[in-house]
Amino acid sequence: MPSVSPSVRVKVLFFGRVRELTGLTEENGEISEGATLGDLLERYIQRYPQLAGFRASLVASRNQEFAAWDTRIAGGDEIAFLPPVSGG
Amino acid sequence: MPTTPESDLYELIQAAVDPAALVRHVRAGQDGAIVTFDGFVRNESHGRATKYLEYEAYEPMALAKMREIGAQIHERYAIHRVAMVHRLGRMDIGETSVFIAVSAPHRAAAFDACRFAIDTLKRTVPIWKKEYFQDGAIWAEGKIPPTAPKTKPAS
Repeated sequence: MPSVSPSVRVKVLFFGRVRELTGLTEENGEISEGATLGDLLERYIQRYPQLAGFRASLVASRNQEFAAWDTRIAGGDEIAFLPPVSGG
Repeated sequence: MPTTPESDLYELIQAAVDPAALVRHVRAGQDGAIVTFDGFVRNESHGRATKYLEYEAYEPMALAKMREIGAQIHERYAIHRVAMVHRLGRMDIGETSVFIAVSAPHRAAAFDACRFAIDTLKRTVPIWKKEYFQDGAIWAEGKIPPTAPKTKPAS
């Protein structure tokens, strides 16, 4: 039996300042089953510490709907960390 | 998923906005009023001279949120048709970035709905604006969208 916890595949999208800070527009990632949107953000902050200063201003979306940070991620989800919006 | 009438128009476009066409789109015999909002690129931001702006969007989500706003104003106000268009990409001073037209039998509903639509768009639609100046560029300050959807029918 494998000892690692099962993981799920997700698509993560990056926009605006978050796109510029990470240099990413989109990537496919894996995260342990049961992880939350907040867990996934923490993982990106570890990889891109320059995001840390913007943490409080970001909101998450899951499958194109705003979602709370404690929302659990499911396999196949499309997730984005959205900076404050400035359309109009 | 909220529904909006087939005769409404919600679009994200790259080309220049055509306000006259959008007004024609919402105008019908049963109406007596059309209120429009034309948002265009200002030549300054916080006292700095703007050169141009660039807009980007999380396109499918932005369009869904625009339709959601449309559904909300149909529910709240006695209006007829809505046209809501946001342009993306680079825009120079004076170019329209967002245009909303609302028709109604009577003016009050059209005024209220148009105001609600632009105010809500600015808070909830995932679109981002970068401002370019002579000496650099910044992402516009922006608004943090509420994460709990306002009206979620229990289904």
